[in-house]
Amino acid sequence: MKEHVKGVILVILLGLFALVGVVISGTQVAYAHEISIVLTLVAVALGYRIYLHGIRSLLHGNVTAQLFASIAIFISVIAGLVLPSASATGTAEAVGYLTAAAIVAFIILAGMTLEDYIIHRTRGALEKLINMSPTTARIRRDGDEVEVPIDEVKIGEIVLVKPGDKIPVDGTVISGHSTVNQATITGESIPVEKTVGDHTFAGTLNEHGALEIKVEKIAEDTTLAHIIQLVEEAQEKKAPIQNVADRFTTYFLPIMAVLASSVFAVSYFALGFDVALARTVTVLLVACPCALSIAVPVAVAGTIGNASMNGIIIKGGTHIEKLKDVKLVAFDKTGTLTFGEPKVVETKTFGRYSEVDVIKYAAIAEKFSEHPLSKAIIVKADEISLKIPDPTDFKTVPGHGVDAHYGNKHILIGTKMMETEISEEANQLMNRVESEGKTAIPVALDKNVIGVIVVADTVRGNSLEAVQRLKRLGVKTVMITGDNMRTAKSIAEQLGVDEVHAELLPEQKVAVIGELRKGNVVAMVGDGVNDAPALANSDVGFAMGAAGSDVAVETADVALLGDDLTKVEYAISLSRKAFNRMKGNIVYAFIWNIVALSLAAFGILNPVLAVVLAEAGCISVVINSALLLLSKPKPLAKIEGYTSRA
Amino acid sequence: MNIEKAVLKASKKDCTACSTCATFKAENLRHALSRLGGVSKVKVDEITGKVTIEYDTQKIIFAKITERIEKLGYQVEILSREEIQ
Repeated sequence: MKEHVKGVILVILLGLFALVGVVISGTQVAYAHEISIVLTLVAVALGYRIYLHGIRSLLHGNVTAQLFASIAIFISVIAGLVLPSASATGTAEAVGYLTAAAIVAFIILAGMTLEDYIIHRTRGALEKLINMSPTTARIRRDGDEVEVPIDEVKIGEIVLVKPGDKIPVDGTVISGHSTVNQATITGESIPVEKTVGDHTFAGTLNEHGALEIKVEKIAEDTTLAHIIQLVEEAQEKKAPIQNVADRFTTYFLPIMAVLASSVFAVSYFALGFDVALARTVTVLLVACPCALSIAVPVAVAGTIGNASMNGIIIKGGTHIEKLKDVKLVAFDKTGTLTFGEPKVVETKTFGRYSEVDVIKYAAIAEKFSEHPLSKAIIVKADEISLKIPDPTDFKTVPGHGVDAHYGNKHILIGTKMMETEISEEANQLMNRVESEGKTAIPVALDKNVIGVIVVADTVRGNSLEAVQRLKRLGVKTVMITGDNMRTAKSIAEQLGVDEVHAELLPEQKVAVIGELRKGNVVAMVGDGVNDAPALANSDVGFAMGAAGSDVAVETADVALLGDDLTKVEYAISLSRKAFNRMKGNIVYAFIWNIVALSLAAFGILNPVLAVVLAEAGCISVVINSALLLLSKPKPLAKIEGYTSRA
Repeated sequence: MNIEKAVLKASKKDCTACSTCATFKAENLRHALSRLGGVSKVKVDEITGKVTIEYDTQKIIFAKITERIEKLGYQVEILSREEIQ
């Protein structure tokens, strides 16, 4: 900040000296002319940043726009001192050479200062992230609670986090229960429940409960620090379109030097020294390579910064250019479009038994089973706050079900365990459920079927919205999964996915991606670990839910830190917008330069107007690119009181 | 505390046509380095790419600094390294 204040003060001083110089020259004060010259020279000298940059770059072997400006200002100053009555454009009312030099220095310095400031602000997104991390932590040491600087916390220590405080470390909750807003990491502002055994991230906000967290990662090793480093690296990675601009700017200034010399030579012989000098100075000042060269890097930094604030890490400019062309998005099903864990979705009861009875007896029998379907039933029992007693005895029959006793009651679970005829009603239900790709689990009590529990993998809350948003963007959606066709089709229909490829082995997924890529730019969305080969074989690989998995974040082209799939559409539309802006800026800067140069060469511009044009061109491009930082994703429909599990 | 000062040269093939790009790159590099734990002072010359950095050798190893610069896409050349405190 201090740097910026210093820069602004210099600009203001320069402007003041120049202004007072002009005012005094018009008065009848004694030595008005001499005082005016001195003040104006001081003003020109205050633009030293320009000359230093120009000369030091030249010594370093680089010809820069600042060098051209320095030469132009120098020529004007000399002309002003040697030819006091001469005017900049050869017309009588035009400003004097010396005053012109001061005004030119003022505009260029003001431009440089403004650009520095915008560049500084473009980094703002990242700074915001960095500032999320607390600098101290409250820890328990020798029975006491002490507040210590974060770099003195050791791995394995216990950190205490009060309600409303930021969590300072990556670790595991060992006591307490709370909700945590993880937006800094995942970009999703819906708080996540945290209880014993859950993982926490440094920089996230603890909401209503107190937590005790065992420290696992600190400082540069935390997920947040890692994300920031990745973003910094990504912002340095050039977009291919940059090469077009770079190639152009390489030749730009040498061509300008030749052009300026030719303009001087031609004008000198045709129109005389005065006009030749004015036109040469104007040509040197109007050249604006900046607009061409800075447009893309600022846009890349703005886009990647914006994405990172929304829980998306785009790993470099190349991926922005790939993303904008994506015509087809392939999703993995299990764990990506769906939660990947079976849940009880329906309970059908028979006879006098209630839903609670069916769940209760099933849960008793399944209490000690590790099978995913058993877990689904136990979770359901928990949800309806059932206390589940232990079974008296139980026996799991792999691939069949469970045979258990509870007191004098005999419980059987699973189709193949049924010893009695299953009623027509139950059979119909089970057939329907199976055709939908779900699993039906009959429960029998003392040899009577009392109900059927339907278990299925469920789709994530945002999957439907994610698919629909992509469709509105004109992007085709495809599901590729190892699961059976029936289940895959059922989920694809719920979500409106265009195409389904099911029953695939991991290497077949790679082959399918290869097929899809014929004629399409394909993005693949998966969990980043199991789907790594398919992700690697796509044009743009999205790893979702990547926070906490360094492998996933590291290998993906785009890492979605949370599990909100609508971010896929946001990444694509943001990239389209960013690329259009880069392209637009390059074309605009190119035309701007050609027009301004022609005007300068034919004497239609004077030096002051030239430099105003050049700076305006450059600044408008920088601002236009930096504004990408402010784009926002379309809001999701809010679900009251909804919290998702970590 | 064991402060060392190193002078490095970070170079990258990039546009050098005006001060804006140069400032942009230098700012990014300076920020990235100043955030490394144990680094107390960083100066980056936008024209020459010369990086002057002071750090506590008990908190950070030198290789981590050069590695960070390289990860940001630069070639690193070590010009000098000395203990100052």
